[in-house]
Order: sequence, then structure tokens, then C-alpha cells
Amino acid sequence: MSGALLTVDNLRISFPTRQGRAEVVRGVSFTLGRERLGIVGESGSGKSQTGRAILGLTPPPGRAEADTLRFDGRDLRHATAADWRSLRGRRISMVMQDPKFSLNPVMSIGRQLMEAAARTASSRTEARAKALAMLEAVQIRDPERVFHAYPHELSGGMGQRVMIAMMLIPEPDLLIADEPTSALDVTVQIEVLRILDALVKERGMGLIFISHDLRLVSSFCDRVLVMYAGRVVEEVKASDLMQAKHPYTQGLFRCLPRIEGGTRPLPTLQRDAEWAR
Amino acid sequence: MGLIDVSGLSVTFIAAGRRVRAVRDVSFSVGRGESYGIVGESGSGKSTVLRALVGLAPVSGGQMTMDGAALQGARPAAFYRKVQMVFQDPYASLHPRHTVDRVLSEPLAIHGFTDRDARIARALDDVGLGQGFRFRYPHQLSGGQRQRVAIARAIILEPEVLLLDEPTSALDASIQAEVLNLLDRLRGERGLTYVLVSHDLAVVAHMCERLLVMQHGRAVEEMTRESLRAQAATQDYTRALLTASEGYRPA
Amino acid sequence: MSVMSREWLLTEQPASRRQAHVGQAYRTWLALRGNRLAMVGLGIIVVLILMAVLAPLIAPYDPIQGGDLRTERLLPPSWQHLMGTDDLARDIWSRVAYGSRITLMVVALVAVIATPVGLLVGTISGYFGGVVDTVLMRITDIFLAFPQLVLALAFVAALGPGIENAIIAISITSWPPYARLARAETLTIRNADHIAAIKLQGASSLRIIWGHVVPLCLSSVVIRVTLDMAGIILTAAGLGFLGLGAQPPQPEWGAMIAEGRQFIIDNWWVSTMPGIAIFVVSLGFNFLGDGLRDVMDPKARK
Repeated sequence: MSGALLTVDNLRISFPTRQGRAEVVRGVSFTLGRERLGIVGESGSGKSQTGRAILGLTPPPGRAEADTLRFDGRDLRHATAADWRSLRGRRISMVMQDPKFSLNPVMSIGRQLMEAAARTASSRTEARAKALAMLEAVQIRDPERVFHAYPHELSGGMGQRVMIAMMLIPEPDLLIADEPTSALDVTVQIEVLRILDALVKERGMGLIFISHDLRLVSSFCDRVLVMYAGRVVEEVKASDLMQAKHPYTQGLFRCLPRIEGGTRPLPTLQRDAEWAR
Repeated sequence: MGLIDVSGLSVTFIAAGRRVRAVRDVSFSVGRGESYGIVGESGSGKSTVLRALVGLAPVSGGQMTMDGAALQGARPAAFYRKVQMVFQDPYASLHPRHTVDRVLSEPLAIHGFTDRDARIARALDDVGLGQGFRFRYPHQLSGGQRQRVAIARAIILEPEVLLLDEPTSALDASIQAEVLNLLDRLRGERGLTYVLVSHDLAVVAHMCERLLVMQHGRAVEEMTRESLRAQAATQDYTRALLTASEGYRPA
Repeated sequence: MSVMSREWLLTEQPASRRQAHVGQAYRTWLALRGNRLAMVGLGIIVVLILMAVLAPLIAPYDPIQGGDLRTERLLPPSWQHLMGTDDLARDIWSRVAYGSRITLMVVALVAVIATPVGLLVGTISGYFGGVVDTVLMRITDIFLAFPQLVLALAFVAALGPGIENAIIAISITSWPPYARLARAETLTIRNADHIAAIKLQGASSLRIIWGHVVPLCLSSVVIRVTLDMAGIILTAAGLGFLGLGAQPPQPEWGAMIAEGRQFIIDNWWVSTMPGIAIFVVSLGFNFLGDGLRDVMDPKARK
């Protein structure tokens, strides 16, 4: 485990508006080893755009620039379309929030999974076995049925699990998961996290886990970046998140309702213009 | 007898040629002024129960009464003066081409109120938006502001019961806190009765005195806030929900 | 009257109902203005309208009364006769200019008759579903089963030739696609939360359809109508060409082409000039329709 798997330095993403270019990510820097890195923030904080930019998926007319964007020794800033093809899906995978748009609607789940498995499997039988094993691994009760099903026949949670299975089959070195479990029920969510956890621990995969759920991130990740208005306002060890120093992080924690009871009314977040500066 | 009594409620849909039993034999009772929660995961039928109460879902069995009067078939106009609903997705629940003003005047026009301006002004103040928002379109509002408009629309007819279908699950945590506080305050000020549906145990524990846990269309167990806090669940499923809501724990 | 400054129009905090509506219209206009093809299309249509209004001023000759039949028949385009003259010694430019009035009338009347009918049938059908839907849609299917020109021909044959009857015939035959479109839109809208919300306020079906469903279907239907205008002009011209639309000596463009076809080899301009007019106006409506779609279609946005 030598050095960082991914290095991002001064990442900036901007979109054109009527009033000129607006920066949605303003100078984000971090390094990732073979660990679970969480990125938390509210909607509009730039956390999803950060994840997409690493894969070169900033939607046009947006523009992503960085001083350094290096994955496993390769500079991604000037990667060509061919470079991206050799990276995406094989070495870096991404699980998006909404599975419906990421699966091919006219191909059975099984065929799509086997296609993903073909890169690492030596025969069709092995690819099929791998696909079925992965479906089982993401807690799908009846893998054979799902194998022959088409995407529209699956529920949202099921589609999300299939999506995760597909992204994990090629055994990537880096997985970017953007709210991968928000569409899932809490009980299934934990199972999916276990799979991700095992991949990090056993195979040394790097994981970027993007979420709005502070409680989940703090219990699952090793390290957490807290984003606010396009900047990282705090980087903290996940286990220390409860003792976070930045008032934004503290405020986010405090405003969550608790089962064991808390103050009434809930403390609200008083935003400070300084944080966004 | 409570304000709302539901007994043996069943709802069956025909979806793509198959019968889907969304709700099976669910019973509960909500007292006047009480806040009652329904918790469950997706597909548990929790939202369908709310929709059945207001006549948006086909009831295939059981009885529902409000104030002793049976609820069945098309509801009379007076029913909607008493019961209003707030939906989950504030982006879908406001008409994209109507200004806030129009959204709030519609119910007043339907029920023949004449003092519309004063009522709209008051409703906007009540939900903490103020007059500056009156002539905006939904696309000029944030998610939290939209949900406030939806709440204003629900309270403008001064109902007794608010049905809340995941009112904060589409919102950021900090906005969720503000909306929950708003709902809490309105209930205190107006003596409203709430039925709140959520997948989030913490939200329900914060907002509701009693709650019903649902799974696969059935009622699993009914609990009070105190027994929930004491982790005194009797069913495995409730215990699993409680564990899961604490976050991730390595196996 | 407040000052209609740019800031007043674009403010995020309108202070009155009117300011909100005007501001919204201004924003749509700004988006449309950024679309070059749409502006070309709009320009062509504005020119058409000006031509219709100012026909007596810009037409140098009488469109009906020809000149000297011995010396001024079938003259090629020149400075005297910009587009030449036809076989009755009438100035073609003057006839084209006056003909724009007929074209504009056809376009406007068809839009006014067919659009509301299509919208109403489609939204009612989609909103209520069930038997209402089946009956209305089968009627629509019957109309759709015939080619538009053939059906229009049948109606004109029954009603008698003439421009008014041609307009009625075209209107009757052009609403079904709008009904289909409005129904499809309604089906996606009717299950939306905001429709459920207004139902829970106790609104009547009429109120929901008129105040909540129709405004959402309107933009896609308007786009479709604009794109169809080219076809409607062509149908009107086709009826005129077949002698069933405008009757001679009315300067209708399609009829003018028909009159010129016997001289097409030797005197090409007689048919070509009105043909160019039809072509340009049809193109204008298509450009505008495409632009409107880019700006207003809720699906293309988002």
C-alpha cells in the first residue's frame, strides 16, 4: 500500500450562467488511500459534482479544473476518451443515486452483469457464476429470477442493488458511491454497506462515499470531508465527527431529531456568511 | 373512541394485471389533538393508509370513521375543511405554473371565502415565509420554502387534522429541523391532530406520542414514544429498524 | 403604471400578481430571443402580418382588376412588375401581398377553432379515463384514420367550395392530433401530487381540468400547432389548387399556383412566386415552433 490511490488538489468546477461562470466547487483538495472516505454536505454543496469530476463526468457546459488529479500515478486532467474507457468501469466505478438511468432498459439484468464480468472471467460459465454470486452478495433473494428480469421489472431498491452488483463485478480499485443507499430501506442499506466494507478491507479498494446522512457516514467511513458551498470546511476522522470543530458540522449534528429524545424545538442551523467565503 | 378510527382497513390495487394488497387489515385510532406516527419502509403501505383516509386509494375492506361519521365514497366539501394533507415531494406537490398567491387562493375560492388577501397574508406569516414570497413561482423557491407553501396551503382552510406524508424526507437535515419545528408550533397553536407517515424512526419519535410500525401492508406493532425510547419493542422487525437507525455497525 | 425596467421584470420578489406574470413572460421572451432560428421564424411571421395589414399600401396594383390584356399579360419580373404578371394581366406581387390576408386568416381561424377543441377533448378524456376516454378517443381515431386532405376534401365537397368552408374543413380535420397530445400529457399530470392536493381541497373536476391541467398541456399543444401551421397552409393551398378553397378571382396562394400551372414551362414566375411565398411562411412557422419547443417544453428543460 504505497502512496495515495487518488490525489485531488485544488479542484474547481464551474457552470456558465447569465451572470458569468458560477463556481459550484471551489478548490477542493484531498488524498485517498485504500480506505473509506466520506463526503457529506447538503444539497448544492458540490459533493456530487466532486465525485463526478473525478471520473471526468462533469456535465457540459460545466468545466472542471484541478492543479492535480492523479489516480494510481496517472494524470487524469488530460485523459482522452480512450483513457477514460480503459479506466471507467474497470478501475474506477461509480454508483449513482438513481439506478433507473444507469441500466440498459432493453437488456436483461443477467446479460448486463455477464458483460461486466466478462473482463475478469475466463469463460461464459464463470461469468454467469460470478454474476449470480454477486446478486446473492447484494442480498437479492431470488438471483435466478432477477438474472432473467429486465430493469423495468425491478423495484427501486432492487435496481439499486443490481447497480451496485454491476459496479462491483469488475473489482475496481476505486469506487465512487453517490448516495448509493438513499433509495434503500434501512435494513437493506446496512447489508449493502457490509459488502462495500468487505471490499475495502479484503481487496484494498478505495471508496468515496458521498452522502447527506451525517449519522450514516460517521458510523461507516474512516475519514470524512464536510462540504459547504463548494468548499471543504472540515476534514475529520469519522469517529471524531461528534467532536467536530466547525460550527457547520456541529450544527448539522444538533439539528437531527433523536429517538432517545432531545430538545424541543430542535436547534436549527444558523448559517454564517463567513463559512461560504 | 378517537377522532379518527380505522378498523380492518384493506386496500387492493390492480397494477399491471396483478392484484397488489397494499394494506391488509390495519386498525388504529387517533385521538383529538394527538400526533400519531406510522413508520415503515418502502412498500409497507404506510402512505396508502393516508391516501385511503382522504379517498385517494381504493378501499377494499374495513371501516374508517372521523368524528363518528363513516368515511366512504366521495367526500363532501366539509370533509376537506377538516382534513388536509402535506405531501412528501415539495417539487411535485406545487403546480409549476401557479404563483404562491394562486396556490393559496384556490382553496379559499373553492370554499367561498371573501377575505382572501388577509387569510393569505396570515398563512404566509404563520409558516414563516412573509409577504415577499406571495407572488413567486415555485421555481423561485428552495425545497424548504416550497414545503412551507404546501403547509400554508394545508392550514389555510383551518382544518382540524393534518395528514403528513413524509413531509421532510426530501429536505436537507437543517431544513428538516426547521419544518419539524414549524409543524410542532402549528400544532401547539391550533390544537391540530397529526397523522405523520415516515420511514425515519427518529422523526416519528420526535413528533408523535404514539406510533404504528408497518411492514408489507400489515401492522407490526403499536408503541408509545416512551416504549420506543426505552427500546421496549416486542417484535423482531421493530428491533431491526431500531438497530438500523443507529447507523452502521461492522458485522 | 410602474416602470418596466429590466430589474423590475427579473426580480425574484415580485410585489404584485401582474409583476409576477409579466416577469415570467419576459423570462420566456429572453430565452426565446436567444434562439436564432426562432427569431428568424418570428421575423417571417411579423413580416407576413405587416404585409396583410399594409397590403393596400405596398401593393402597387389592384389584385383583382388586371391591366391591359393585350400588352400586360404574362410579363416576366421587372421593375414595373416585381414578380411579373399572370395570364389576366394582374400584378403577381400585388396578389401575393393581398393573398397574405387570406393565409393569415386561415392560420388564425384554424388555431382558434382546432386548438381549444383538441385541448378540451384530450384533457377531459385523459382526466376522467374509463368510458369517457374510450368514447372520445375512438371518435378521435375515426378522424385520424383519414388523410387530412382527403377528409377536408370530403367536407368541402359537402359544404360547398369557398374559403370559409375550407377553413371549417381544415379545423375539423386538424384537432385530433392535439387531442391525442393533450391526453398523453394529461395522463402524466393527473397522478401528480399537485393534482391530488387540489382534489383534497375539494375542487370540482371542471376547475381542476381548466385551472390546473390545461395550463400544463398548453405549451406542448401550442408548439405542436405552430409546427402544424406549415401543413395547414399547405392544405389550404392544396384545396385552393384543387379549386375547392378560395374561389377566383380571390388572390389565394394555392389557387394562384393552380392558375399558373398551364404556363409553367414558358412563364415560370406565375406559379413560382406564390410558391415561394408559401415556402417562406411555412418555414417561418416551423422555425418558430422549433424555437418554442426549445424554450417552453417542460421535458426539454429540467
